[in-house]
Amino acid sequence: MANIAAQRIKREFKEVIKSEEVAKCAIKVELVNDSFTELKGEIAGPPDTPYEGGNFVLEIKVPETYPFNPPKVRFITKIWHPNISSVTGAICLDILKDQWAAAMTLRTVLLSLQALLSAAEPDDPQDAVVAKQYKEQPEMFRQTAKHWTSVYAGGPAKMSDLDDKIRRLTDMGIEEHNARVALSSYNWDLERATEQLFMTVMAKN
Amino acid sequence: MSDYFEEMGWTPLRDGEAPNSFLHMARLLRDFGMWDELGLGERLPPPASKEAISNLKDIKFDGTCQQCTVCLKDFDAASSIKSMPCRHSFHNECITPWLKKTNSCPLCRYELPTDDEDYELYKKEKKRAVQREEDVKSLHNSMFS
Ligand SMILES: [Zn+2]
Ligand SMILES: [Zn+2]
Repeated sequence: MANIAAQRIKREFKEVIKSEEVAKCAIKVELVNDSFTELKGEIAGPPDTPYEGGNFVLEIKVPETYPFNPPKVRFITKIWHPNISSVTGAICLDILKDQWAAAMTLRTVLLSLQALLSAAEPDDPQDAVVAKQYKEQPEMFRQTAKHWTSVYAGGPAKMSDLDDKIRRLTDMGIEEHNARVALSSYNWDLERATEQLFMTVMAKN
Repeated sequence: MSDYFEEMGWTPLRDGEAPNSFLHMARLLRDFGMWDELGLGERLPPPASKEAISNLKDIKFDGTCQQCTVCLKDFDAASSIKSMPCRHSFHNECITPWLKKTNSCPLCRYELPTDDEDYELYKKEKKRAVQREEDVKSLHNSMFS
């Protein structure tokens, strides 16, 4: 790894660790290996959002050319959000693309991601299905996002009606995550989710 | 009242004058949001012009403990420090590679001129579109207030 990139990450590390957000447990960065090319980030779901109480893990890859190029960041924790792919965790955020600036740091990136969880931008979606639900059925979106937070990010909410619907599908032999994705994508309409799942199975056979 | 062409920001072609296809391209890109469509919006804007880079002011280290926000190191007497027109300063070896990539201040996004004709046109057209919108608005306000 180029010297400037590694040196800067080392300096940033100290900055993040000393920052008050870390003291408040809002953000965290850890090394994955000792070459400073790969890091693990963590952000707490912001209060008064469906992500509250959840803890979201991020994969951070630092390019050789950092800070002249942005770090590559994606969600490892599965999340239901218009600007984050529910499949790959890929993020649509301008500062990770054309709005990157060399003076930005891991701390600013993590804080921006936390801000994105508070204020989605459904007109610039990464996940079209989620974005559609966000715009057309906001309450359904909120419930779904809260449910995903509780299942994948350790959030507090238990939603037995949603869990029941998932169980109906897993009882039919559908894998749990696939059942959750289908139900989430069809606004928890059991019949349509079932239909879609069996059509996919048939297409594969 | 000014004439129609002037109002719309158009100038009719004079004899023997060829249409400026760069300009038309820039307008097309702006009007149909194609700049982003082509993925150009995904990339950083083009590098600062060679001239703008070489015109950056050298400044002396004056003892006040200031940090270069690109490498996060403090300046010292041995540092070769460059100052941008926005008065943000960086190590020469930190700001030059950045400006060779994209034309703005790493801290405040103050834009330096580029050598990229298409980008400059695009920027000018965008600015004019904003201006025109404001003109229409103030015309509207003066008519209905
Ligand atoms: Zn520097
Ligand atoms: Zn500046």
